[in-house]
Amino acid sequence: MHIAFITLLAAVTEETAKAGKSIGLGVGGGLGAVGAGVGIGIIFGKAIEAITRQPEMRDEITQLQWLGFALTEACFFYGLVAGLLAAFIV
Amino acid sequence: MSAVSSSSAPAGAPAPAPSSNLKRTLLIMAGVWIGGMIVLFVIFGSGGRNSTYQPQNEFKLDNWVHLGVFSINKAVLYLLLAAIATCASMIYIAKRMQSRPNKVQTAVEMLYQLMRDNITGGNLDEKMAKRWFPFIATLFLFIMFSNLVGYIPLPTNTEHKIDVLGLHIPSFSLYAATANLSIPLVLALLVFISYTFEGIRAKGPIGYLKGLVPGGVTGGMAVFIFGLELLSNFMRLMSLSIRLFANILAGHLIILFMAGALAVILGVSALAWFTIPFGILLFAFEVGLVAALQAFIFATLTAIYLGGAVAEDH
Repeated sequence: MHIAFITLLAAVTEETAKAGKSIGLGVGGGLGAVGAGVGIGIIFGKAIEAITRQPEMRDEITQLQWLGFALTEACFFYGLVAGLLAAFIV
Repeated sequence: MSAVSSSSAPAGAPAPAPSSNLKRTLLIMAGVWIGGMIVLFVIFGSGGRNSTYQPQNEFKLDNWVHLGVFSINKAVLYLLLAAIATCASMIYIAKRMQSRPNKVQTAVEMLYQLMRDNITGGNLDEKMAKRWFPFIATLFLFIMFSNLVGYIPLPTNTEHKIDVLGLHIPSFSLYAATANLSIPLVLALLVFISYTFEGIRAKGPIGYLKGLVPGGVTGGMAVFIFGLELLSNFMRLMSLSIRLFANILAGHLIILFMAGALAVILGVSALAWFTIPFGILLFAFEVGLVAALQAFIFATLTAIYLGGAVAEDH
């Protein structure tokens, strides 16, 4: 049973490699986008909250908000780069 | 194919509202957009998957002038362009300073204020800010210009040539010096070396290494945290460079796909009609926000690292 399964795997090894690469790209891009999306949502939500509480601190909060946005957004790109590496280079 | 036609059905459905003029215009535009796509699809149909077009070749670096390690390719050209643009524009504006500023001078003065008050002034003390302002401001301006130059289509794609009056000229393409990992990595290395140097100068080699461990931590825990902090110092190199590189590369990739590569790969010409508005929107987003934001992040983080290296308590 097991040996039959392994030979089956060996027979389709090229297709499997292709499928693995596609999965890598999908997981890297997709899950990366999920995490970064949640993070960016939290940052902008909290910034709006903070500005409504203390409108006089708007400039400082906006600056921090963009900093946080860019740092969070970068996490998506780490995932995407890993996915692209898996799909095209490895 | 079915995905495209099914997505078009609900958007075209809502009945026109004659009350609002703007709403009607928008509906007509959406109708033309989706209707045009359906008409184009009916006329041209699907040409089948195109496997000859390789999107990664858009980012391939061909050596134009062979000089060994110093060969000149697309990235070097863009690097030079960005450097020339930075120096030329700043020197030009600095030489023509007026007491009653015009629009360009006002914009540059706002940038200068941002660099002096927010990026360096906000994260470093007065003495450090004065010393490191030129470095951080140059980083900021160079990265911003490099990103912006990358969004101007230039005839640099030697992979695909187009025929104009018998001349084979390279087709127009987008590329940026920062869309190549090497250049952000060198900038990040420069930052790493400068803040380590500054920290060692402020506290001495032993003091600097001791300063990595927060005060109050002793024994085995201190050794563990020391290793962690040392590792995180090297991770900064990676995060600084990959953040910039991946942002710009992903921006270029998505513009490429939206502006037609998707239609070419899938062999459905009508898809290009559908994706081009997204392409224009993303282009505006990249030029308007991402280019300056990434430069701002890089410069701010440089200032934060420099400030952290000389801070007395961790």
